[in-house]
Amino acid sequence: MNGLQTAHAPSPKVVVPHFIAGGLAFLVMAVLMFLSASEWISLYYHPKLIAITHIGVLGWATMIALGALYQLIPVIYETSLYSEKLAKITFLLYVISLVLLSYSFWITSYTNLLFYSSLLMFFSLLLFVINLVMTYKKSNKSSIQSKFIASSIYWLGATELLGTLIAMNFKLNFLSDSHLHYLKVHAHLGMIGWFLLLIIGASSVLIPMFMISHETQTKKLNISYYLINLGLIGLSVDWLFFNSIYGIYFCSALIILGIAFYLSFVYKVFKTRLRKKLDTGLKLSVMAVVFLLIPVIISLYLIGFKADSQEVIRVSMNYGLSVILGVISTLILGQIYKTLPFIIWLERYQKYVGKYKTPLPRELYSEQLAKIQMYLFLPAYILMMNGIFFEQLPLLKAGILMLIVTAFINLYNILKIVFHKVQLKELQ
Amino acid sequence: METTKSSNEIAQIELDIIENILTAVMDPEIEIDIVNLGLVYDLKYDGEQTVLITMTLSTPSCPMGDSIIQDVRQSIKNKYKDFEVDVNLVFEPRWHSGLITPEGKKMLG
Repeated sequence: MNGLQTAHAPSPKVVVPHFIAGGLAFLVMAVLMFLSASEWISLYYHPKLIAITHIGVLGWATMIALGALYQLIPVIYETSLYSEKLAKITFLLYVISLVLLSYSFWITSYTNLLFYSSLLMFFSLLLFVINLVMTYKKSNKSSIQSKFIASSIYWLGATELLGTLIAMNFKLNFLSDSHLHYLKVHAHLGMIGWFLLLIIGASSVLIPMFMISHETQTKKLNISYYLINLGLIGLSVDWLFFNSIYGIYFCSALIILGIAFYLSFVYKVFKTRLRKKLDTGLKLSVMAVVFLLIPVIISLYLIGFKADSQEVIRVSMNYGLSVILGVISTLILGQIYKTLPFIIWLERYQKYVGKYKTPLPRELYSEQLAKIQMYLFLPAYILMMNGIFFEQLPLLKAGILMLIVTAFINLYNILKIVFHKVQLKELQ
Repeated sequence: METTKSSNEIAQIELDIIENILTAVMDPEIEIDIVNLGLVYDLKYDGEQTVLITMTLSTPSCPMGDSIIQDVRQSIKNKYKDFEVDVNLVFEPRWHSGLITPEGKKMLG
């Protein structure tokens, strides 16, 4: 109707399984973290930590991002998804490859299982990239937000390509440098290219919409877009071919400046918002944006100081944690409550609107539990960071325990929303 | 002359009732009714059985757009089942926060 996005919305069958699988992966990640904490607390790139990282990054964060993107496409591109069938096939292949890939890391099967599972993962993500690129091409809409998201999808392809090459190298041994060198590039392509650009693109649509702010000046976002992309291209080229410290300084400065422009945009939105009272979903989303400062500060520390190797290990682990848990997970935990209830509500209640009294979307989950989840998640994050930095296993384990409860509540609320039964009351 | 005046008065009463009905149509996400949100630009009643509502959404990509429009139509039909309810959805002029009523602003916290 009149270009309304609901006319282009995909079937919930495409989107919802991603939220269930993602919630489950978050819980599995937290449990595995607890079980193996003593093994990886002070070791750089321990195989179990790599397995846990991939469950978190691919199983939790990317899984939810894929589902949310299928839903967001009509909002941002103002067109329907290129192929829902392809999205369903992608999900199936993605889940199979995720399980195999994580298991191969866990049992250190780097030559055979990792080789084939990473190829399958590459293929499944390639299908996703094709689906989204084809959707982008048939859209007439070109905004800075859609550019952010399109570039994040290309960076996802690049991240996955390099990850697959690293995995294949264990068997074929064709790369000239050590694995750790390429792993660093792979991680940054994923964290900055895929996640950060996606977060900026999606949040610059969603945050003003939910906060009811009509901040329409996109100049800062435009500057941010070019700075981050240029910085990341430069950083990747420098790391892969030159390894010049000045190149790293310069490119990191571009990226950090780009983040600063984005933060300034969000700050303006926040200041001009009409909705003063924020629910748990929005509070977590705002926190995630503020938490972006933590990896920025840590990265400055890592670049600027010649820390001893043991310190580098601990600070690097906190750097990864501050991105995956501090920024990405905080945002996802919040945005789940701003997307999933509406998807399910529209599916179950749209036909009854005006005919019966229906519950509100926020009544599909427990807001009380969501609050408890938020209050557990924040100390969990702080305890884990401190546990790693000071190499204090009890602190780390206490943090992870709180994270397990957080993940459990998250999954409970996801399932409560998904399996919500229609409740209608007569109009008065 | 007397009859026309009376019809106009009746039409005005019906319009007031319809506007009141619209104050029960909520944006399910913002949880404020569409009248206080300033989404209703114009309301016309022909004095017979046709109502024309010119309205907008807080953003063209509002995920709840279809649902809100359906609610508008159905809520009026609940009271006037033989009426034709035309919803003219427009995005010019674009909705802005200045259109929210003082009551609506209070509801936003």
